[in-house]
Amino acid sequence: MSELPLKGVRIIDACIYWAGPMATMLLADLGAEVIKVESIQRLDHLRLLGGWPTPDGYEWSAVFNGANRNKYGITLNMNNPKGRDIFKELVKLGDIVTENFSPRVMENWGLSYKELKKINSRIIMLSMPGFGTTGPWRNYVTFGPNVEMVSGMPIVSGYPDGTPMMTGYVADPAAGLMGAVAVMTALQHRHRTGKGQRIDLSQIEAFTSFMGAPMMDYSMNKRIQKRKGNRHSSLAPQGTYRCKGDDEWVNITISSDEEWQRFCEAMGNPPWTQWHRFADALSRYENHNEMDRLIEEWTSQRDKHEVMQILQKAGVAATPILNYGEVLSDPQIVERGFFETVTRPVTGTHPYPGTPMKFAETPLSIRKAAPTLGEDNEYILTKLLKMSKQEIEQLAREEIIGTKPQGWAFAMDADEAISRIKDIHTKAEDSSKSS
Amino acid sequence: MAKREQALLGMTVLDLTHHIAGPYCTKMLADFGAEVIKIERPGSGDPARSMGPFPKDEPHNEKSGLFLYLNTNKKSITLNLKSATGAGIFKNMVEKADAVVENFSPRVMPGLGLDYKTLKEINPDLVMTSIASFGQTGPYRDYKAADLNIWGLSGIQYELGEPDRPPLRIGNNVSEYVAGLYGALSTLSAVYYRYETGVGQHVDISILEAFHTMQPSMTVVYSYAGFIRKRAGIRFPWGILPCKDGYVGFYLPTQVHWESLCALMEMPELREKPEYETPMSREERREEIAAIIVSWLKDKLMDDVFHAAQELRLPLTIVPNPEQLTTTAQHKARKYFTKINHPAAGRLTYPGAPFKMTGTPWQAGRAPLLGEHNDEIYCERLGYSKDDLVKLREEGVI
Repeated sequence: MSELPLKGVRIIDACIYWAGPMATMLLADLGAEVIKVESIQRLDHLRLLGGWPTPDGYEWSAVFNGANRNKYGITLNMNNPKGRDIFKELVKLGDIVTENFSPRVMENWGLSYKELKKINSRIIMLSMPGFGTTGPWRNYVTFGPNVEMVSGMPIVSGYPDGTPMMTGYVADPAAGLMGAVAVMTALQHRHRTGKGQRIDLSQIEAFTSFMGAPMMDYSMNKRIQKRKGNRHSSLAPQGTYRCKGDDEWVNITISSDEEWQRFCEAMGNPPWTQWHRFADALSRYENHNEMDRLIEEWTSQRDKHEVMQILQKAGVAATPILNYGEVLSDPQIVERGFFETVTRPVTGTHPYPGTPMKFAETPLSIRKAAPTLGEDNEYILTKLLKMSKQEIEQLAREEIIGTKPQGWAFAMDADEAISRIKDIHTKAEDSSKSS
Repeated sequence: MAKREQALLGMTVLDLTHHIAGPYCTKMLADFGAEVIKIERPGSGDPARSMGPFPKDEPHNEKSGLFLYLNTNKKSITLNLKSATGAGIFKNMVEKADAVVENFSPRVMPGLGLDYKTLKEINPDLVMTSIASFGQTGPYRDYKAADLNIWGLSGIQYELGEPDRPPLRIGNNVSEYVAGLYGALSTLSAVYYRYETGVGQHVDISILEAFHTMQPSMTVVYSYAGFIRKRAGIRFPWGILPCKDGYVGFYLPTQVHWESLCALMEMPELREKPEYETPMSREERREEIAAIIVSWLKDKLMDDVFHAAQELRLPLTIVPNPEQLTTTAQHKARKYFTKINHPAAGRLTYPGAPFKMTGTPWQAGRAPLLGEHNDEIYCERLGYSKDDLVKLREEGVI
């Protein structure tokens, strides 16, 4: 196996939920040795959020298992001084400490940057709470959905006649990605100067930086952009059009008059395409609704893949909307080998999304499945901290380490749990229609 | 004004990017101290220069809000890569660069005779990052795609929106910003590896694959449990709901949070209702619960609800518009929004540092005018004379 870009970089990772773990997952993908710390008293809550109400449901969280691959997983009761001492021993051997708790938490544990720097003068620390580590709202509670809400994005998202909409999740991995960039920036600096530093990342600020055009429009024109559904801010047509079948759709974007001409030709030049009110981008934009109806007359008679083939051949950006099952077998995704098959205890063998970063000389891959709770306790404590078998057994007796969560009371049968979760998500359509 | 030493001091990046994904990638590098030389085509430059918003909606090549935001701290030179002289000048510059970043469609760089293999011969440890909708390989390689197309192909759009309406995308070009950050992460990591080992390499980033990683492993859910979520409008346990002067949003990940919401609304009886007892049962009855919250919010102000909820450690937050966002006490205290002066566009407020580095702080800087740094780069750096520049200009090279 070839080397990886971050070979020799060690990260002590106290991150929980998704944003922080996403940051360290990316760095783990790039070859850093990431030691993820959770505890049997307090699991990484992402195991619960995506998990199942079954006896081993904390191992069935797809989002946890996706965001923690390539990491070592240990448990440490951080409310016990002995647990914190072990954490500090790891920090001595590490390059980077990452955490996304509310700002009080690390301070209360005596693990602030100031303290950690005393143990390891070169340490880089990434703190990434929702609102950042300073300011009047620093201790406010936020989760990924809140970050997206406060970023300013939902207010410009949604159907033109509807309320603000959001994904409910995209801010978490986006902030994680920003966290990984922040760590690499600091690591470059340390490489040149030998100096570590602390990074204070507000997930909300990070995600607001994706709001270039709407924020600049407000800055320039004091305008609050309207919700436009799937439309472009100035080009037309752009939209999502119904295709043959049930709930089948194609996205089409026309970005110039020349493309519009090719689009019309590809549809066989129906008479309406010559109408004066569709002659240029501005008039097309003004008559978007009518044009959408006419375009849909053409798309709705065709399969979504057929529409893609016809229009892409004419140089028009047309692509189908895929559900997650279809994504797995999409020819482009398959050809590039994006999904990797990974075997993991408890969950078995499944395809997982791989990395979008294709390095030619140091290819990245999923080398290790997400750890089961406390999976690497023995390995890390023995290999890195040179602890004896007796010492490790003693830690287990004192419940400083362990592999079974405390207070996990869920006992539902797996089949029943799956069937109930499935019902909620796939019958969503009926229940919201009836209201 | 003399700049304090920044994190990426000494890193030189040749930036062939345009529109959003590529420029956002190199903005990250430039904002933290790398020297980013943006190479634009003579005449019109980066097409983003002609995209809005513009002040008073009057198009102007130096006043695009999108361009101004995405190109802070960069230097701009003009160069026609399609001319042999232009490509030759670019190759000279490659000799001393750490990295090249580009987001053309995959046929362009080889078409210009500037594929990685050729550039590597000039600079053996060069890092090159290529960002393209579908990456550099595969059957869709040459297909066209805008942000909306990427949403549809990623699987994300399918489950967003109202059940009886078309699937919906969120935000403006989120997939491109995401790919830009992946580009920055890759470039930094590849350059780091180069510093350590002397080995450069080409990194190939697909915007589609990048954006697919922005959802909670739903293909894995499909593989574990065999179901695909349908569009549901509000997807409990979160929701955005109207109040008297705007919108607030809540998230109720655990039982405690549900109980806090009941306490906030002073409706303890909701806690006792057996049909709202578990997260699953609340999800089933989310429309009902949303209606209760909406009627409670009707005469409440967003800030009041937000602060009262946070007193109870309830993750309920404001859903601000840009005006409300720029004036929050939090953003003011952290000085997130930054005023930047620009010779053509004037003094404007920009979103500022995406993260705060305590040792090597982010520094505000403006976007360049088209070709603003031609003299500096061509004459001072590469040794061309003023006469040479005039000649190159006449030949349409710069």
